[in-house]
Amino acid sequence: MTRAGALSQSRMRQRKLNTRAALQIVREDDLHEADDDLPRVLSGLDSGVEKAEQNEHHLQAALSASQAAVIGGKVAQIYIPTPDAVQSSLQYDKLYPLTYAQPATYVRFSSTVEDCAGCAYDMNEDDHTFFKSMNKKKDASTQCSEDQFEEIMNCFEETAQAKQPYAAVDSPPVLSYDEIESSMDDYLDDHARPFTREIYEHWKTRRLGAGNKNLMIGLKFETGADTDDADPYVCFRRREVRQIRKTRGRDAHSAEKLKKLRKELEESREIMAMIRQREITKREQLAVERQLFEQRANLRQVKLNLPDQYKEGDEDILINQKPKKKPLEIAQRAPGNQYRLPQRSDGRSSDADLVLLSDLLAEQERLLTIDIDTKIAQHQQWNVGYMDMTKAPLTPPLESDAGSTFRTATTEYLPTPPASISSEHSGDVTLDFSVLAMGKADSVAVRYASPSYDGPCHSQPSFRRRYGRGGRLWIDRRGMRLPPKAGFDSPDADRFKYDDDDDEDEVPVYFADPFDTESMQFRARLFPTPSSQAQMQARRAQMEVFSHGASHSSTSVRPSRQAGPD
Amino acid sequence: MAPRDGSQERISTPDTVEKGMATINTLRIGVKAFVEKDGERRKAEILSIKESKKGEPTFYVHYEDFNKRLDEWVPASRLDLSQEVEWPQPEAPTRKSQKSTAPAPKSATLPKSTVGQKRPRTSTTVATSRKSSETPELTTTSGNASKAVRPSLVGGKENRPGSDNSISVIAPEIISGTPKAEDSELDLVDIQDAAAAAKASNPQHNAPYSREEEIEKLRTGGSMTQNQTEISRVRNLDRIQMGAFEMEPWYFSPYPSNFTAADTIHICEFCLSYFASLQTFTRHRAKCNLLHPPGNEIYRDSSVSFFEIDGRRQRRWCRNLCLLSKLFLDHKTLYYDVDPFLFYCMTTRDSHGCHLVGYFSKEKESAEGYNVACILTLPQYQRKGFGKLLIAFSYELSKREAKLGSPEKPLSDLGLLGYRAYWAETVTDVLVEHEKNSRDGRGSGEVSVEEIGALSAMTTNDVLHTLQNLNMLRYSKGQHVIVLTEAVLEAKEKAKAKEKAKGTARRRIEPDRLMWKPPVFTASSRTWNW
Repeated sequence: MTRAGALSQSRMRQRKLNTRAALQIVREDDLHEADDDLPRVLSGLDSGVEKAEQNEHHLQAALSASQAAVIGGKVAQIYIPTPDAVQSSLQYDKLYPLTYAQPATYVRFSSTVEDCAGCAYDMNEDDHTFFKSMNKKKDASTQCSEDQFEEIMNCFEETAQAKQPYAAVDSPPVLSYDEIESSMDDYLDDHARPFTREIYEHWKTRRLGAGNKNLMIGLKFETGADTDDADPYVCFRRREVRQIRKTRGRDAHSAEKLKKLRKELEESREIMAMIRQREITKREQLAVERQLFEQRANLRQVKLNLPDQYKEGDEDILINQKPKKKPLEIAQRAPGNQYRLPQRSDGRSSDADLVLLSDLLAEQERLLTIDIDTKIAQHQQWNVGYMDMTKAPLTPPLESDAGSTFRTATTEYLPTPPASISSEHSGDVTLDFSVLAMGKADSVAVRYASPSYDGPCHSQPSFRRRYGRGGRLWIDRRGMRLPPKAGFDSPDADRFKYDDDDDEDEVPVYFADPFDTESMQFRARLFPTPSSQAQMQARRAQMEVFSHGASHSSTSVRPSRQAGPD
Repeated sequence: MAPRDGSQERISTPDTVEKGMATINTLRIGVKAFVEKDGERRKAEILSIKESKKGEPTFYVHYEDFNKRLDEWVPASRLDLSQEVEWPQPEAPTRKSQKSTAPAPKSATLPKSTVGQKRPRTSTTVATSRKSSETPELTTTSGNASKAVRPSLVGGKENRPGSDNSISVIAPEIISGTPKAEDSELDLVDIQDAAAAAKASNPQHNAPYSREEEIEKLRTGGSMTQNQTEISRVRNLDRIQMGAFEMEPWYFSPYPSNFTAADTIHICEFCLSYFASLQTFTRHRAKCNLLHPPGNEIYRDSSVSFFEIDGRRQRRWCRNLCLLSKLFLDHKTLYYDVDPFLFYCMTTRDSHGCHLVGYFSKEKESAEGYNVACILTLPQYQRKGFGKLLIAFSYELSKREAKLGSPEKPLSDLGLLGYRAYWAETVTDVLVEHEKNSRDGRGSGEVSVEEIGALSAMTTNDVLHTLQNLNMLRYSKGQHVIVLTEAVLEAKEKAKAKEKAKGTARRRIEPDRLMWKPPVFTASSRTWNW
């Protein structure tokens, strides 16, 4: 590829420079000639110099010299020619004495030029000539010093400035000596006084010569005239107040500040009022104490006057009783030991405070009960004044269809054939059900009975048969046995609930559905536990009672139970 | 006033410049003649004429393409009248109130007729570009208004003869951008086109401020270096004496106007007060007990100290300083007071006291992020490396403020060179350091432009310009790289060798020695008094 070709291509693909992107720093030798852009000399850059001056000969020469140096040319450094500074012929050391001693620390200084330059008036050549001739007439003891001369001149000038501020404009006559004399006390001490009249004449001459203008040459400041604006000698104009743009944010800010200020002021006012109140109370207290003291003094006097036998007693009211110190409740803690658990005052170990789970559960239970009670009470409250025409308004309506009611399936393993047939006839419904339900469970003898009222109803599985849509037959079940909770229902057992070790060689546990029909059947075959046996007996006895006749009074139940089999 | 535009347009084209032979007596202000300067003849414009003590005329000339600081008084013998001179443009008849050729005595009408600002093109260009939206009458009125307040350029007697026409012709650039407008029926579209064309053809004429705008900007912005269009062109002081040195001023400075008559102005080295006579100066020196700039010393090393001066608290001293520095800074303006500035003054110390070497001023609050307003090394201390030290110090302050900074524009020619040198050195140092670190296994050897800026408190723009000026920013293998060029490394080696030869290390600002916290100004002080 030709150089030109490479160049044009590189130009084309050159991307914009990202100022945030990290750029590799390389040496010129590391750069391959071929992929390098030609060294471009950027001359059209904005240099920051006034455009009109950018083309000035010397600047251009200096710039092109440095540009040439960039490309690698050998160029002598070019300076822009400036008028030279030369040593002054004045005696520098005389004018500037060697008095400066540099402090060890950095200088901190705030005096102004006016503070440091002494008298503002400086004698000029005319003054000096006059000064000399004036002093010539006097003997050595009464001569005027240069400082005094300047002070007097300064006094004249200042007074004139104060009394004729517009002397330069309306050219009034030069201030008379009498006019100045009145203000001399402010400027001059007594030593300078003798020379004032003499110097006044000189001052007046000079002043007249200058058109009654200020002798101390100053800068031209703005005078308010139209010509000010364009006069190149007028300088250092006042800058008017800087406009601050009004914005909502600024307004809000200042409002906020004002609010804060007001709040603080009010607070301090309140504090002051409270302090005042306190001081008043203190005064009252002092008055009371004083009264007390006086009363006691009286009492003492009275007591002293009393016969001896009465002198004793009542000493305690003559002195202020210190209030008994209350025992400190909190034991003093050793300083620096803040992280130690505090000792319990009752001496128990600190962790005795820990809450037991059982307590929590009991508490929860209690709260629940309370909640229920309040709900009931609330409900009763609602119903006050209403007559309850329903039998049991909060329970679901009784199912009129007896066939659809659940019947408890009481199962037992019968080693012997059914003892009696009478129980089979205890109800037609039961019979019906048994016939239907036992169609498949041929080997299992099931007895059906009404649910017992005293037994734990929830643990008794019960079933119901109903017909659904399209004549489908449904068996609903209820009260199936809950998953075995043995060992976990007590809070003690629960303590180890989370303490299982996750050993790999643990015997795997298979979980079976307890409501699975087969497992239910299996469970049904098992030998009844003693408790369930007792239950069963009770049930049987009950059933017998019912079967003997519903008309039996409840009193007959007891004997019949006792008379149960086994 | 369109005819005026037309005439100016016609006049401004170079081929219509009136040329001709001249004699000493026909020379007048505004004439461009060839003047001998350092052995060669250069075209120069006569800005002022005065009689010398011997009764011979002397001419104040400005050499074309030379900085104003080289303007000077020359005797007639240095003028080459064997060549044709360029005559100044005669005034357009419509606005002429006086004869342009006849030297008019200084009178009340004088200010109205003159347009002698230093950068007159600025305002005219604005008027031009605005013409599309304004009626021509309006434009010219405003133009006249700005002229009406114009004063005589120099208070002195020297520009009395013909000063009125001088001014209208001083800068033909004024006119060059003006659109052609033969009559008042000019189509608006034409004006727009012409204005656009004029703008395009004179890209340097798009300075955006008129005089009024500029003064307003000065007032609210507080900047001191804005180029006030009103600049007096003739130096008013001949010579100043300060401390152990004497020097020639470079530019006009508004010292009391009767100082112009004095041969030498004495300036007290410590309080910077000015005196037209040796007697008063001597008396002042007997009384003045200031030995260093009247502020707090914030930096001190073996050679220099820096003092921080608040313009509001030391108004007198700061005004004196500004007057002094205006003698050497063309673009400084003293239009407004010094209150919104802080002055950082560099001094050297000896048993006389702390001698002011240079200073820079800084706005207390710069809306545009400038860290320097004016910067000056006094001429008697120039070319000694102090300028770089001043610049370095200004960046050190910016680092302490955790800000990026840049000097206020426009820069002077010397300012540009000084800053470019400092920037080049700083950027090179950062890059060399980075490269060295990566060679030693620390750092990646990569750096972004913004990182360079953050390390040196330079604005991203300044870094970019510096890299481009040094030809360090290149494109290689599909990405930008920074090249440490041979030239740059060589320059660095050279500087090192120079230091060694001198036996003294280059002066540097040591950040540890700077005891300074950025001053905080409350909202109220900003609003009411700075």
